[in-house]
Parts: sequence; structure tokens; C-alpha cells
Amino acid sequence: MLCEQYFLLSTNDVGSAIQLLDLNLFDVLLSITLFIFLPVTLFLFRKKFNWLSMTINFSSMTILFLLLAFIFAPIITDENPEFQKDLSVTKLLAPFSSITVLHLKGKEKSNTSLSDKFLALKNETVKQSYNENIIFVDNIKLTSDKIIFLQNEKVGELDLDLIQLKDGEPVLTKRFFIFGTDEFGRNIFTRLVYGVRISILVGIGSVVVSLLIGLTLGFLAGIRGGIIDIILSRLTELFLAFPIIYLIILIIAMFGNSLLTVIIVLGLTGWMSLFKIVKSEVLSVKNKDYITSAVMLGLPKRKILTKEILPVIMVPLIVNIIFQFSNVVLAESALSYLGLGTGDLYPSWGAMIESGQHYITKAWWMIFFPGVVLILTLFSANNLGKNLKFQTLK
Amino acid sequence: MNKDILKALLKRFVTSLLTLILLVSFLFFLIRLSPGNPSQKYLSAEFSPELKEIVTTNFKLDQPIFEQYINFVINIFKGDFGISYGYRQPVLSVVWQFLSFTLVFAALSFLTQIISAFYLALRTIRGKGKSFDTVVLYLSLIVYAIPAFVLGLSLIYIFSVQLKVFPSSGLHSLDFESNLFFEKIADYFFHLFLPLITLSLAGIALFYKYLRESLEDVYKQNFILNLRASGYDEKTILKKHVLPNAIRPLLSIAGVELGVLLGGALITEVIFSLPGMGRLMMDSIFARDYPLVVGCALIAGLLMIASNFLADIIKMKIDKRLIKGLMS
Repeated sequence: MLCEQYFLLSTNDVGSAIQLLDLNLFDVLLSITLFIFLPVTLFLFRKKFNWLSMTINFSSMTILFLLLAFIFAPIITDENPEFQKDLSVTKLLAPFSSITVLHLKGKEKSNTSLSDKFLALKNETVKQSYNENIIFVDNIKLTSDKIIFLQNEKVGELDLDLIQLKDGEPVLTKRFFIFGTDEFGRNIFTRLVYGVRISILVGIGSVVVSLLIGLTLGFLAGIRGGIIDIILSRLTELFLAFPIIYLIILIIAMFGNSLLTVIIVLGLTGWMSLFKIVKSEVLSVKNKDYITSAVMLGLPKRKILTKEILPVIMVPLIVNIIFQFSNVVLAESALSYLGLGTGDLYPSWGAMIESGQHYITKAWWMIFFPGVVLILTLFSANNLGKNLKFQTLK
Repeated sequence: MNKDILKALLKRFVTSLLTLILLVSFLFFLIRLSPGNPSQKYLSAEFSPELKEIVTTNFKLDQPIFEQYINFVINIFKGDFGISYGYRQPVLSVVWQFLSFTLVFAALSFLTQIISAFYLALRTIRGKGKSFDTVVLYLSLIVYAIPAFVLGLSLIYIFSVQLKVFPSSGLHSLDFESNLFFEKIADYFFHLFLPLITLSLAGIALFYKYLRESLEDVYKQNFILNLRASGYDEKTILKKHVLPNAIRPLLSIAGVELGVLLGGALITEVIFSLPGMGRLMMDSIFARDYPLVVGCALIAGLLMIASNFLADIIKMKIDKRLIKGLMS
């Protein structure tokens, strides 16, 4: 629906289509498109992807779920992670609790033009962090022309003609909070699902950064040797010598914290093990005949790296990358917990735990659910890496 | 032989010194690269321009960058890390007050880790394949994946909020001064119990894994079979032949372990609000006390370099073959 409308709009009026396109809308559009095309592509190319026939175990399932949540977050939950309304009723709700919702009549608008129609549809689909048309209530009472509602000792009243009615009765629905709510009445489940994005974004981003650094430097040190090798090895030792979290905190304190800084800093401080692996592997295959012949044939250095050396060291590299990923996820959540996190684009698990800490006597679920998800993620990543290592050892 | 050891030691010392100089230079470039002039960063923003001018000349910021660098290195080696403007004291003395707690805390945790890991490994290897063994194995996998702050908060929830057995924060009670000596020690123990578990559990899992693997390896070897066949009792075999061989891989991670401990101590100190260096660093970040932040990071790096050096010396003492390895 939304996609179709947007497509129509963009063919008619490109200017307003671009103007309406913000991050959230783009997110929803992308998820819906992927939701349709991903299964189709996977089905069509199922013979090419041999990892599809991998045996499934607990860890790979968890990682799969995380990836799905990463891509399809707007489809999995129908709320904005920052959504909050009627704090007095919704704050610190226990898990599995539900709240009655009173629906108000929205302002009637004449939806004639295409862009107005689209805007209405967008407001319906893309969830905003505020919705003025619903009220969370504890209890309601009907009088002849008024409705009286109770909100945690606060009493309010509304005219009946402001409320959506059905057969003379107000429309009441229930909103269900499976993991409870936090101190601002925000749904913890939604925040957890969106929090996957931060973790995976930071994880993948900084692993790519450290992979680039580790690969280049390791290759350089292995092929050239000599003074470059000595300097790079000292540098590695220096980075290994530093208690990494102090270094990360120092850099973030100096340069300010944002998503990008966190990704870059975690990437810059995690390349040492990759460097060591690449260097030792390069040294061990350097004098093999096929490398010598490749050099003799006059292949450029870059080609030798990608065509001759990378395939050989692929497996230890992947194992290391997975471990590095779990390290980075842990470091990111620790940083968010310490208040040096990734900004407020999406909620982060570490920051959720930090805010739960202040309500530890009242609301254990604010720490429990993010904590469990975090532990599961780290455990699965560790396990996946270990299994891969074992398989290759065999 | 003695000459070899001396030579190896000297070489190791020189590389440590090199790493130290690299560390100091790295910090210098970090400070200079970060946005803002050092005179803004090291002094409150409410200074008038004239005062800033004076500060700039006093800090020698008007000189070429290379001379600034030399000055920086010389000052660090003299022990002059600047003055913390939160505490209005030299950085070194402030860090010193907080460092002692972190060191004692880390040492206690290290002891706990080693002792429990040894105990568990020996217990499980004796009853190999039994239910206790499998339980500990899986538990160690899970425990290793628990982040320190989740663990610490769970412990606080269980033991402080629900059961009210242990206090949730601080180092000693309010009526601490009036207590007798033994009561004081008991009080410290009471307050440090939860933090110690928080800091040690992941390390126990790690050490256990390594110990268990190396013990198993050693027990598989032929000379153990020979000893058993010769009629030595299990205790002698364990003490004289298995443990010295199994301990080596542990030593190689013990040097790195201090870094892990310092990092873990930082988070543990924040959770339980203990007066250590990690919490000092976090507090000084939020107070924008940059000299103190840099000082803390530098001291942490210094400690790591020193502990790696020490671990290598101990390794050399235990295993003479390593001298050659370290020389190359």
C-alpha cells in the first residue's frame, strides 16, 4: 500500500516525494521492499548459497533472529521506540501487562490530492513518537454527554463527540506490553528490537574498520618485513599494552561521542589480533612455491593479496572476525552503560540497562530483558566462532 | 647462562621503554589532534583572553610543535602530569590516592580467580564426565558471556534489594570509624564481596577453561602413565609433575589479565561506587577534568607495560627455554 502510493506520488510530484522522505519513512519502505524481495531472492538462488543448508543450532538461530530484527524492525513492532503518552498510567508497567486505550476522533481532513492521501497513509503506517489521538486510561465511566476517565488518581473528562463511538459505546482497545515499560512509559520490547540496530551497526562497522587496518598492516608487515615489521609490531604491542577500555574512553572523551566516533574508535582499537593472524599467515605462505610463481608472473601486490593469500587465511580470519564482533558488541554496550554511548538515533541496550539501574528496586524488568538479550547475543557469537574453529580443526 | 638472562632482561627492558615512549607520543598526538586548544581544555572556559595569552606562553604553546612534544615527554618522565582543576592538586597525587584501592581490588580478584579456577579444574578433572563436570563446563561458557555490568546489577538486585544481605555500594559503613579492628575488616569484606564476584566470575571461567585444557593435555602424556605404572601416588604426580607443566599457558595470559582486570574494575567501581581509579576517570570525564583523564589513561598504560614486563620475567624464571624465544 504505502510503497504503491509512494511510487505513484514520486511519478507525479518528485519534489514533494523527496521532501516527504525522511529516515523513518525510508526505513519502512526499505523493510517492506526487502520483506517481499528477500525470500524470493533466497528461493531463486537457493542453490548458489550453500550456507543456506547449514545445520541449525541455538547460536545460529539467535544470530539469525538478530539479523531479522535488524532489517525488519519496523515490521516486527508497530511502535516508535520513543513512543510515550500518558506517563502516569504507562510508566514502569510490569511485563505482560496491558492497558486500555481510548481512541479520539482525529481532525477530519479532505484527502483529495495525491500527496495529502499519501501523507495520511504515512501517518498511519510510519509510527511517530507521539500520537494525539489515543489516551491511555485505567478506567472509564460514561455519563449522558461526557466520558470520565481515571488515570492513576488523576481524573479527566471529555465530550462524547470527541471520541470514536461504535453503537453508542466508546471504542476501547487494549495495548499489550510483553516486556513491560520503562520510566517514560516506552515499550521495552520495541526498544529492544530497535536496539539490535545499534549493536549490529556498531559491530559490523567497527569490524570492517579493524579488518581493513589489520589486513593492510599485516600484509605489509608480512611481505616487506624489516623496519616496517618492527615498527608495526611495537605499535601492536602498544595497543595490546593499553587497557583497551581506558584508551576507548580517553579517545571518546577527547573527541566527543557519537555513533560514528564509537564505530571508528572501536575499530581502531581492535585490529591487533587480525594483524597478528594475517602477518603470521602471510609469513608462513610467503615462501611457498605458488606465491613465488605469482610474484614471478608479475602480479601486482594487491592481486596477490586478494587472489592468493586471502582464500588461504579465510577461515581463521572469519573466526577472528566473529570473536571481534562479540567483543565490539560488549564494548559498545559497556560504553553506553557508562554514558559514553552512541547518541540517541536508536536506543542502545547498554543505555537501557543504565536507566534501569535507577529503578532497580521497582522495576527489575528494565535490566532483566536487555541483559538477557545482550548475554544471548554474546553467547551465540562466541559459540558460533568456537564451532567454526572446531570444524576447521577437524 | 647468567649472561644470557641478563641480556634477555636488558632487551626486554629496552622494548618496554620503547613502548612507553610510543605510548607517551601517542597520547601527545591524541591531545593535539582532539578539537580545541589545550589552553581551553586544561583551563576553565571563563578565562579572559589576556589570561589565556599568559597561559599560552606559560604552557609554551606558542613554541613549535616539536619542542612542545619534547617538553611533554620530559614532563611526563619527571612525573609532572599537570594539575587537576577539580581536585586542585597535581594529577599524580590524585591518581595515587585512588590507584591503591584499584590495585588491592584487582589483586584480590586475581587471587580469587586463580584459586577458584584451580579448585574447579582439579575437582572436575578428577570426576571427568560426571554431571558436575558438564554443569561447570556449560556454566563457564555462559558466565564468560555475561557482561560485568549485567552481572553486577543482577547481584545487587538479588543480594541487596531482595535478600538485603550485602550492601549495594560504598567501601565501608557509616559507623566505620567507631568499630574495632576486626569489625573493620569484616565490614570491608562485606562491602567488597559482591564487587569481587562481579569482577572475578568471567576471569574464573577463562582461567578454568585454560587450566582444564592444559591439565587434560598433561594427563594424556606418556610420562604420567609411566609415573603411575611406577607406583607413585596421585598426589605426588599432581604436585610435582602435572601442575608445573600445566601452569605455563596460564602465565602467558596472566600478563594480559591485568588489562582485563583494570577494564573490569572500571565498570565494577562505577556500578558499586567504589573509590578506585576507574571511577575517578569516569567522574573526571563528566567533570571535563582533562588532565586527570589523560593521567588515568597514562597510569593504566604504564601499569600494563610494567605487568607485561614482570610476567615475562616470571616466565623466564620458570621456563629457561623461553629466554631464547624472547631474545629473538
